[in-house]
Amino acid sequence: MNKQWTLLLLLFCLTAVALASQGVVLAQAQPALTSVYRAGPLPLTEPLAPLWQEIRGISVPLTPQAGVLPALLQGSVPAVTVKSVNDGQWIAFHLTWDDATQDVSATKPDSFRDAAAIQLPVSEVLPSICMGAAGQLVNLWHWKADWQRDVDEGFRDVVDAYPNFWADFYPFVAGKPPYRMPADFQSPEARAYSVGWAAGNPLSNPTKVSPVEDLNALGFGTATSQEGQDILGRGVWNQGKWTVVFARPLVNGDAQDAQISPNKSTSLAFAVWNGSNREVGARKQVSTWTTLRVEAPRGGGAPGAGPAGAPPAASQPGGLESAYVVVAILLAVVLTALLTLFVARGWRSS
Amino acid sequence: MPKVFNWQLNREMDYPYEGARAQRQFGAVFDINKCIACQTCTIGCKNAWTSGRGQEYMWYNNVESKPYGFYPLGWDVKLLEALGPQSWQGNTYAGKTIFEAAPAGSVALGFLPEDEDWAHPNLGEDEIAGKFEVGERIMIPHMAWVFYLQRICNHCSYPACLASCPRKAIYKRPEDGIVLVDQSRCRGYRECMKNCPYKKVLYNAVTRVAEKCIACYPLIEQGRQTYCILTCIGRIRMAGWIHPPDKVEPDSPVDFLVHVRKVALPLYPQFGLEPNVYYIPPLHVPVSFTRQMFGPGVDNAIAAYRKAADDPELLGALLLMGATDRWIARFKVRNGQAIGYDEKGAEIVRVPLKEPVYIRPDWDPARQVFRHNIT
Repeated sequence: MNKQWTLLLLLFCLTAVALASQGVVLAQAQPALTSVYRAGPLPLTEPLAPLWQEIRGISVPLTPQAGVLPALLQGSVPAVTVKSVNDGQWIAFHLTWDDATQDVSATKPDSFRDAAAIQLPVSEVLPSICMGAAGQLVNLWHWKADWQRDVDEGFRDVVDAYPNFWADFYPFVAGKPPYRMPADFQSPEARAYSVGWAAGNPLSNPTKVSPVEDLNALGFGTATSQEGQDILGRGVWNQGKWTVVFARPLVNGDAQDAQISPNKSTSLAFAVWNGSNREVGARKQVSTWTTLRVEAPRGGGAPGAGPAGAPPAASQPGGLESAYVVVAILLAVVLTALLTLFVARGWRSS
Repeated sequence: MPKVFNWQLNREMDYPYEGARAQRQFGAVFDINKCIACQTCTIGCKNAWTSGRGQEYMWYNNVESKPYGFYPLGWDVKLLEALGPQSWQGNTYAGKTIFEAAPAGSVALGFLPEDEDWAHPNLGEDEIAGKFEVGERIMIPHMAWVFYLQRICNHCSYPACLASCPRKAIYKRPEDGIVLVDQSRCRGYRECMKNCPYKKVLYNAVTRVAEKCIACYPLIEQGRQTYCILTCIGRIRMAGWIHPPDKVEPDSPVDFLVHVRKVALPLYPQFGLEPNVYYIPPLHVPVSFTRQMFGPGVDNAIAAYRKAADDPELLGALLLMGATDRWIARFKVRNGQAIGYDEKGAEIVRVPLKEPVYIRPDWDPARQVFRHNIT
């Protein structure tokens, strides 16, 4: 009898553990991100706006990119917390991650910037997570910490990076030493000596407007800056944490851009770079695809005219699915217990 | 990983791409024995290509003193140490190349120099390897020595910078084998800087992308030599087409010096890139040092170079170095003269193997003065 009970108990425990572990897996599977509807205007470039405190986010796990060379062997950012709001016209994403070091310079040969990116599908078919593939276009929104500083404080020149810097002459330079970039290097002749800038490389442009670059890609190594740059954004580092917002109209008619619709769920993915860990390019941490649901305005109201401060009750995308998982586990445990009792009784009667 | 044949190692080796040689390959010969480290080449190059904002510490061309000079600091010794033993069996390299020694997650073995490492381009200038005791006489090879190493991009047949760029923003021109960074596609990842063993891809602090020696391709396209060659007052340099051993053109002066007389050798061939700047090793430096730097051909190169006075063809090729601003496609030695020809076979330069000597009387009757210089 004792033996039988032990066996049954074991069976019960195993079943429970199996179900529970499945539950854990389910719980870990990427929860969907809901872009909560809020009446505009939204704080599109204010990562610390109070609104964001009201929005529940999801934690998106990140893993070091190891699919192609060069790879990131040791990651430094395990997850990014993502929130989203929309007002029927604009959509904004809010990313937060832990980073003990604020790396806002890519000026020295051994300094690398912090950065974050959102990947959205442009093609109808869900593209390869690996920055798309041939025929599977993706749209990338790439925020860079050094661009942020350039936008906030002016272009970080060599005189800023090296306090004792002095140079008395440059070809075709205007002004006086120690000179400023770009102000004293505006003529086409002077600009020709900043080859990347003259060649139209957005990385080399000292007159940045947004800290976010709008790109397309068709696979690893193909990221290409777009003609039309229309992503707003801002990043703030505070007490070991980056908080970055990205914003764009839901629909903008640009065939190179992802068009986002309240009536249609789409997917998005995230990447984060930690400059002081020399993370750059393919050396990054990435997420898998995450489902994005965009809430439509309440009560059929006109886009952007919904009630301000709508309750965040429905804005718990992760919570809803977690509840399902808990219920499923409880049900399974109860069923197993019943089955166990039934079997035990059968054994006893025999 | 595909296999390619590296003739400098006399064996196949791993390389991330299939071997595809350029139709023609830019090559150059630098005669270390003639260099006085005046840095005229360095300044000529800088005036031409790196005088812009953000390029202050970028030197596409530099001349460093060996053994203690480096630009950037420790560029070669750091990698030599990381690579481990680099043994040769005869003319075949038995060690690992930087591609074969690639650590997990990387295309090749390398390191990214730190900011400070670029800040002292002429560190170690003229510092000799040891000291002389009182009363010692200098012998050849010198007991304590120094020599100058002239460095530009090697425009390698198997460039590590090109192999390392995840964006394929670095390319090798099929028409002349010159390796270039596409300035519109580079995103400043610096994988190329990490993996170029010669550290000849440099970071522009203002444009935040990588730049490198372009072998003065606008000049080469016009049949001219590069600025560092044009400005060399010691006439130690010459550029020309270099071919692999099975396609040698013996009347190409660079092919002749590298493949026929074998007096010019690649720099650190063991790294596995098949670099295309070839050096005539210094005679006064112990071969234990120069073998590590230029491979197992050093002894032969020195022996051949020592016999140059009795070898009219070799002497002719050497005398054509720096003798013209034009690109010498072919050369001949006839009647005591070395003659250089362009691609179309037109003569562009003629140099006597032995400089004619004119002796004049010390008294100049026309000007009623004594001449001080009478040769």
